[in-house]
Amino acid sequence: MLSVEHIQKSFGSVQALHDVSFSVDAGSVFGLLGPNGSGKTTTMRTILNILSPDGGQVRWNGKAIDRTVRRRFGYLPEERGLYGKMAVREQIVYFGRLHGLHEPEAAKRADAWIERLEIGAYSLRPAAELSKGNQQKVQIACAALHDPELLILDEPFSGLDPVNADILLAVLLDLKAKGTTLVLSSHQMWQLEQLCTSYCVINSGETRASGTLAELRSAWPTRTVRVAPDSPVLRGAAEKLGATIAGSENGDLDLNVPATSDFAAMLRSFAAADSIVKFEVVEPSLHDIYLRAIGAAA
Amino acid sequence: MNDFITVYSGDLMRRIKSRPFLIGLILGTLAIVGLFKLPTILAPTLVKQGTRIVIVADAPLAAQARPLLAKTLAVKGVVPAGTTVDRALLKRFDADSAISISEVKSGIQVTIFAKNPTSVPTGRVRAALLPMQVQHSTHLSSAQIAAALGAHVEVRSLSSKFHSVHQAEAAQGLAMTLVVFLYMLVIINSNFVMSAVAEEKTSRIAELLIASVDPMVLLAAKVLVGATLSVLQLVVWIAIGIAMGSGGGSVGAGAVASTAANPFSLAGLLGNILSPEVIAAFGVFFILGFLQISTVFAGVASLINRTEDLGSLSGPLFIPTIAGYFIGILAINAPSLPVVAVASFVPLLSPFVMFARMAVSHVPLWQIGSSIALNVLALWGFTWFAGKLYRVGMMLYGRPPKIAQVWEILRSPS
Repeated sequence: MLSVEHIQKSFGSVQALHDVSFSVDAGSVFGLLGPNGSGKTTTMRTILNILSPDGGQVRWNGKAIDRTVRRRFGYLPEERGLYGKMAVREQIVYFGRLHGLHEPEAAKRADAWIERLEIGAYSLRPAAELSKGNQQKVQIACAALHDPELLILDEPFSGLDPVNADILLAVLLDLKAKGTTLVLSSHQMWQLEQLCTSYCVINSGETRASGTLAELRSAWPTRTVRVAPDSPVLRGAAEKLGATIAGSENGDLDLNVPATSDFAAMLRSFAAADSIVKFEVVEPSLHDIYLRAIGAAA
Repeated sequence: MNDFITVYSGDLMRRIKSRPFLIGLILGTLAIVGLFKLPTILAPTLVKQGTRIVIVADAPLAAQARPLLAKTLAVKGVVPAGTTVDRALLKRFDADSAISISEVKSGIQVTIFAKNPTSVPTGRVRAALLPMQVQHSTHLSSAQIAAALGAHVEVRSLSSKFHSVHQAEAAQGLAMTLVVFLYMLVIINSNFVMSAVAEEKTSRIAELLIASVDPMVLLAAKVLVGATLSVLQLVVWIAIGIAMGSGGGSVGAGAVASTAANPFSLAGLLGNILSPEVIAAFGVFFILGFLQISTVFAGVASLINRTEDLGSLSGPLFIPTIAGYFIGILAINAPSLPVVAVASFVPLLSPFVMFARMAVSHVPLWQIGSSIALNVLALWGFTWFAGKLYRVGMMLYGRPPKIAQVWEILRSPS
């Protein structure tokens, strides 16, 4: 299990991390969310021990992150980089060796990854000749070649076209199935919802919310109830129940109600007041939770 | 250790196959060959320069002067006194200068008319005509003059290091050449190290590397790859130098060209000139100097965000190297000057200066030991400094850091 406990980090007068805490179960997929400049990359670098925290600690399976532990991690940084003049296959093998693989084993795995990522046609070409998307695939292979216990991916989907994004998604799902613990950040909430089992939202270097989607939703104070058709009678009944009107569209009326409301009683009240054809309790989306957590929406 | 070997071998192979290294090696080799061959090619022209003369004098004086001048100069013709001396006369005789000789009360009066006054071998003319001057002023016989002027001059060495002038001159030549090598290798390969660090940072691969390997391992591998390439180049160049020297080519390191002994001839090298002490001094000071300079370069290079900034940063950093080189050259001719003695203890300067002093003079053992100790201490300090900068600098993007930020980095715990 990865445990991040109250880490702090300053760069000169700028405090990048005030207090970030979360934990990630082994074998799970964890989404680190936050706006640009919120401290996601600094958090990831601190987990990898690229940066040492000024306060707090990071532990993997109860141990501090030292060189031996870090060797079992993989990392795809947000700012991608490769040796431009080095051939793709040679490059993947080199990074495998940096993570302790012997050359024959690294070469064997590199060939498998090259085939998997559909970049066989470029394996002997210098990396600089590849498109951005293909370079990103090479970097994924470099990060995952040694079968890391923990793979940290900073914005892995950025810059990928839909086809390549699907390939990457499939790769990540495979790694998840194999038991690799994944920590990733992305601004594409729908991709995160497909992959992640738990999340942490940080902003201004602080943890704003963390947990599984169910836990995050349970902490959400309100729910949206969608009823139809919209009518003055229905609105009157809603007001009597203390609901506030959130909006109305295509004949649907959206109401904000406390999360602890008795929805069965509410349905009975609306059915008694008017002839309704639709009653739906809408759970808050990850997007809603994210916006609320960072203070961009109430 | 495995990490280091992987990074070192990977980096070494990349650098050896890189175009700049191969071009540097080839150009350096051509320069060595040129250094040896150029004097041989230019010698005939250089020797002739300014030595073709026309004598302007009355017949008895001309008859007396001609054999004396012909010993060291090419006498292209004789014209009577009173002939107009101009460029046309020189052109007619294919001469560089005209030497007009006339008799005066105190002896002879010599006037030289030259196309290029700086190329006139005045000293040779004066020496050649000295017997004539003496004869005309004293009226002694030729035999008496020859006996009076034939002083036998001999130099006997009191140096504990060299037994003859030739040996001392050869040692100076060798020291000069090795100081030049040291300078070239430090400049070329420190730049390599700096470029390699800057390339990894600007191509953004640094973060991936630092996530995989300890930054100090990366830094050490970069610097040692530079040192390895330097040694490789040095071995190639010295081998070529020995081959050229043994093949009879003349030594071309400036003033050394005139030395009677060729320090690069195999016989010269195996003699007392290249003592084990000098070889060891060169090796130790080369390694210490290179490691110090390239470590600082690597640390500083980690702060830049654009390869275009390399030039402006490397310029000031080269100042100690250039100063060390010039004081090293000075040390070859004046090893006991106070400034030389002091510089031979100053890190960054001493790799050039102490080695040069050792090559041409006897340096007390305590001074050598102190200089090495100070250099080792400085290397430790530079490694600490560069390690701090590198660890943080490689992750620092955006605007280049100001001095205050660099100070913060150095003060920070990691």
